[in-house]
Amino acid sequence: MANFFPRWTNWLPLQMAIAGILIACGLTAATWYYVTPKYTKVGYQPVQPVPFPHDIHVTQLGMDCRYCHSFVEVAAHSNVPNTQTCMNCHQQVQKDNPKLEPVRQSWESGKPVEWVWLHRTVDYVFYDHSAHVNRGISCFSCHGPVNHMSTVYIDKPHSMKWCLECHRNPENFLRPEDQIFNLDWKPEDVKPAEFVAKYGQPHGVNEDWSKKKHLTQQEIGQTLKERWHIQPTENCQGCHR
Amino acid sequence: MKRVFQHPPAPATGKKYWRSLGEYRDTPEFRDWLEREFPAGASELNENEWSRRDFMKLMGASMALAGLGLTSCRRPQLHLVPFTKSAEWTVPGKFLYYATAMPRRTGAIPLIATTVDGRPIKLEGNPLHPASGGATDVYAQASILDLYDPARSRRFLNKGKDSSRADFDAYLEKLRGQIGSGDGLAFLVEEVHSPTRERLRAEVEKACPNMMWCVYDAGLSEAQNYATRTSFGENVRLLPRFDRADVVFALDSDFLDCGEGDLAGARAFTNRRRVRSSSDTMNRLYVVENRFTITGAMADHRARCAASQIPAFAAALAAKIADITKDGALTSLLGAINWPTEGGEEIDDEWLNEAARDLVSKSGASIVLAGQQQPVVTQLLTHAINSALKNIGRTLVVREFARNKNNKSILQLADRMNKGEIKQLFILGGDPVYNAPRAAAQDPEKKTPLDWADLQKKVPDVVRLGYHEDATSGISQWHVPMAHYLESWGDALTSEGGYLAIQPMILPLFGGLSEIDLLNALLGRPKVEGPELIQETYRATKPAGDFATAWSNFLRDGFAANVPARDRPASFNGGAAATAAQQHWTAPPAPTTDSPEIVLVRSYAMDDGRYANNAWLQEMPDPMTKLTWDNAAIMSPAMAKSLGVETGDLIQVSISDTAKDQNNEPIRRELVIAAYVSPGHVDDSITIPLGYGRKKTGPLAEDSGFNAYFLRTATNPHFVVADGKNIEGVRVSKVGKKYALACTQEHWSIEGRGVVREATADHYRADAKFVEKCGGADEPVANIFSLYSHPPLDAAQQWGLNVDLNVCTGCSACVIACQAENNIPIVGKLQVQHGRAMHWLRIDRYYASAKPFNEDNGEFPENPEMVHQPMMCQHCENAPCETVCPVNATIHSEDGLNVMAYNRCVGTRYCANNCPFKVRRFNFFDYNQRPIGKKKIAGEFGIYREYVAPFTEKGAPDVTKMQKNPNVTVRMRGVMEKCSLCVQRIEEAKIAAHVRAGASGESLKIPRDSFTTACAQACPHEAITFGDIKDPESKVSKLKQQDRNYRLLDYLNVNARTSYLARIRNPNPKMPDAEDIGVASPTEEEHGSEHS
Repeated sequence: MANFFPRWTNWLPLQMAIAGILIACGLTAATWYYVTPKYTKVGYQPVQPVPFPHDIHVTQLGMDCRYCHSFVEVAAHSNVPNTQTCMNCHQQVQKDNPKLEPVRQSWESGKPVEWVWLHRTVDYVFYDHSAHVNRGISCFSCHGPVNHMSTVYIDKPHSMKWCLECHRNPENFLRPEDQIFNLDWKPEDVKPAEFVAKYGQPHGVNEDWSKKKHLTQQEIGQTLKERWHIQPTENCQGCHR
Repeated sequence: MKRVFQHPPAPATGKKYWRSLGEYRDTPEFRDWLEREFPAGASELNENEWSRRDFMKLMGASMALAGLGLTSCRRPQLHLVPFTKSAEWTVPGKFLYYATAMPRRTGAIPLIATTVDGRPIKLEGNPLHPASGGATDVYAQASILDLYDPARSRRFLNKGKDSSRADFDAYLEKLRGQIGSGDGLAFLVEEVHSPTRERLRAEVEKACPNMMWCVYDAGLSEAQNYATRTSFGENVRLLPRFDRADVVFALDSDFLDCGEGDLAGARAFTNRRRVRSSSDTMNRLYVVENRFTITGAMADHRARCAASQIPAFAAALAAKIADITKDGALTSLLGAINWPTEGGEEIDDEWLNEAARDLVSKSGASIVLAGQQQPVVTQLLTHAINSALKNIGRTLVVREFARNKNNKSILQLADRMNKGEIKQLFILGGDPVYNAPRAAAQDPEKKTPLDWADLQKKVPDVVRLGYHEDATSGISQWHVPMAHYLESWGDALTSEGGYLAIQPMILPLFGGLSEIDLLNALLGRPKVEGPELIQETYRATKPAGDFATAWSNFLRDGFAANVPARDRPASFNGGAAATAAQQHWTAPPAPTTDSPEIVLVRSYAMDDGRYANNAWLQEMPDPMTKLTWDNAAIMSPAMAKSLGVETGDLIQVSISDTAKDQNNEPIRRELVIAAYVSPGHVDDSITIPLGYGRKKTGPLAEDSGFNAYFLRTATNPHFVVADGKNIEGVRVSKVGKKYALACTQEHWSIEGRGVVREATADHYRADAKFVEKCGGADEPVANIFSLYSHPPLDAAQQWGLNVDLNVCTGCSACVIACQAENNIPIVGKLQVQHGRAMHWLRIDRYYASAKPFNEDNGEFPENPEMVHQPMMCQHCENAPCETVCPVNATIHSEDGLNVMAYNRCVGTRYCANNCPFKVRRFNFFDYNQRPIGKKKIAGEFGIYREYVAPFTEKGAPDVTKMQKNPNVTVRMRGVMEKCSLCVQRIEEAKIAAHVRAGASGESLKIPRDSFTTACAQACPHEAITFGDIKDPESKVSKLKQQDRNYRLLDYLNVNARTSYLARIRNPNPKMPDAEDIGVASPTEEEHGSEHS
């Protein structure tokens, strides 16, 4: 028979190919954007049994992170505080506040408060807080501005790629050891003269940094990296035991 | 006013269209939900702005999200749960170490328990203690799993019904009224040396003076105690000082098996075998035994002799020594037994001569040992020989070790039970229904033999303190759950008399009681939660300083330094020994093929059966036979040939007594058991390990092995041979059926490769570099360069391992330690048969003989020697496994480790294929979460539970999860795993170094030899050494610099980081079999001839 197929079907294979490519690219792009920790994790802000506001306790009252997260400098896990720590103050402060009812109940009954776990690494990843916190990495670098959060949310993706960004270039995140728990620290806060007097400056730099107005994060980080022999492992065994 | 929407009426066609299940069902909730304009959380909207269209849009979207949407795809919400009030010293996730001890039959082992988050996960030796020096054996390592046994007893049972502690206390109250002065009161306890238990026993004895205290341990024989008492007096124990001995002669004595309880002695012995260079001297070991034991594998000269003929052998040896030394006591003892006697087996005269000469030449520096299960006369002869050799006081010290004289034996108890005299019986631990001697008593009228179960039923009140609800608990009135030693307060003595503390790592998981808790309750005292009972005992030792500090130190160190071990001056009571020998002399006729002897021994894995439900020990390959999950009747190749059986065939062993029952028939005991052919076993003798076939203990024990206790009576606890005295006949016949044995190593020949390299001491002295020449088939190929590039090995510290084959006995403590440390699952018998055992570290066992034998042709070596080789990942620098992984899951680290990233692995198994050492293990069936064992679903198709894994139940009991090491990933199905050189320990050490350096420029180096791998830490003989090979002063570097050092398969250019120190044997050149010793590796001549 003559023209069995209508003429417009001539373009079908080309259209299917183009559609196929577009779909594949679209799916890839969608996965790349949506199915990564940067999208799925960041912003997770679950409702906690007790609406504990970090901003009031840390920024307003001036508490140090380590008052509650007491083992962060000695252990792999940074602990959440036990009920006794909360009751140290809240036995008197805000002692009738209904928001603290779960804490008071926990103290009475002996059953602990079940906080919702935010910053969780998978079972085959072994992260150690003490190795980081003692060596110039602040809570801020991984957890964001917790001191300004009224409810904690995940600020950074905590993906392996994100971890490697620091491990490959620790100078982008290192800070002086007395500023680890100062989550509002900025590189501009550093007075170059004092800094160079205490830590020196990297090898091979001819310029006298103590005379500079400000030091960038990279400059601060590089100095500390050389001084403290910071060599973060990039080998699998460092985190995947 | 809210607008209420009216749904359009149902169309006339009758077809219903519904948008949601709620509408379909038209539930009131759905109506409510519809009528509330907005689902929860949405903001309020001004209703006037809403049109019907807007409403439909919102409803559609909400419905999609709410019930029928992707709610199941949301992340699971997990919780962080802190304490309410923290426990002191507990840092979440950080290890805490406490000292404790494991009570054992000869003496306790000092331990350090690693606890995390309030529970113990691993046990190590206590390095502070002078005796053990930080060593553990298989039982100590595996005992942690017993604590978390899901089949443990968790309840009080009163006549089979659930009860409670309160009811039990009430019962004891009532019982106390009935006991009176203890006429009908008896205790059956295990052999445990606990001063506090003795103190409480004394108090019970004071309250009830007529009570009976019986000590029974199926693995212990009274013969040695009796002989020692006779020869050296009361309350002493003979301790061998192997550090002072140049020659050791073992008569059926498996002293290197740490399961006997003397870790310190075994260590001291192997320390004398360690050589640093060819100028070092070694001790020499002669072993006479019927089967291969760990000690026999270490022997320089080994003679095979039936166990029943060992007394005659000992007498022959004694005669030779008496001839040379002319010792009076020895000669008179030989006279008392009228040696030489007729009959018996032929003994190689020349062998005995030279051995005797060697012993005499080393008088005062030699030890002759008799196995504790040998009859009294062997022990007495040995004591006399040692006395003649002037060893007493020098290499054998007489150490004070208290032993209560009022201890009765189980036979005496059985007798009284038979007569109905026992009214209240307390069974603390043990399992007498399982392992008490058969025919413990005789029925007075019917003259039939009575086993323990029959006797126990005669006792009206039986309280059983048991770890499992086993057969004994089944017939006892009360079953009380027993607390594990890791959950209880206690104390113990080491085999040398040192005083150890036992402190609990965790409260009793299931409300169990310890022995002293029970005795305390029986005495009517209030319940003791803390260590008060132990403190009272400790106080009596009069520690210096204030008590609180002394007690704290006692707990911290784990032992009391102020309790000294005392030795007595040596004097052998020859006269008493001679009299006793005359009384007990036994010279059974030599066993024949038609009437062989049956030798019953403790098994290396199950001990006397107490570990029957311990998964790790069930799956531990027996060091000699490499059998798992079962025992077998071990026999020589010649014996097997005469029976017409091979390994796996079932045989029937039947023993008939001289005693006859009421029908005048000889009493018979029978056992059907699988056979196992073992080169090196003596002919006409069959060895059957005890400890298997224990029923009603747990799922793992249920189908495991054959119960050899059926063959064991009080008169013949160790060997059964037709001697006409108690045993009329022993017959073994083939049944004709087969039994599937799970053996992890079936090939035992080294095939002329230089895998295990061995030489005699003389050869080593002549040629210090012999190791380089016995590669055998491996021709070292010069300079293959590697195409594979890996990360540069530039870390400041490089890790390596060294294994000294000279001191490795093959005891497998390292295997179990690795399993405990690294969360290695067990796979079950069926999977072991398929070769899928998961042990990261295996011990290869080879037979070697001077005369070549072709294993594939069914040839067996005659009287071979045995060598052991621990095999773990060699961490090759040019690893063949790394190049072939398609997803790069296995890579090399900068410090020399072959690293495994479990999450990357997709399960190709190419790496295991390429590994020349076959040390990679693949997790086939999610063994951590799936039920193991041969439970058939569709047996005729060979479908087992594991194979239908997605459809079988998943999940491990909580207690099993509690043992897991939190620092090591628990691997899932489809993932390859292998020895990681305990990378978690390396990383912990690195982190500690980083934290120590902190914000300073201090070195990040881990201090030399500050930590080690689990296997190296467990080894009682320090055979494995781990450390920094870049540091020339570290222990491992020094070992690798020795001239005995070699690596496996070097010609493949794999550059292994694990190396071995070749084995040296020290044969006596004058002995007739000297040329057959030290032949494991091909010699230079053979090597040369292959390449001419």
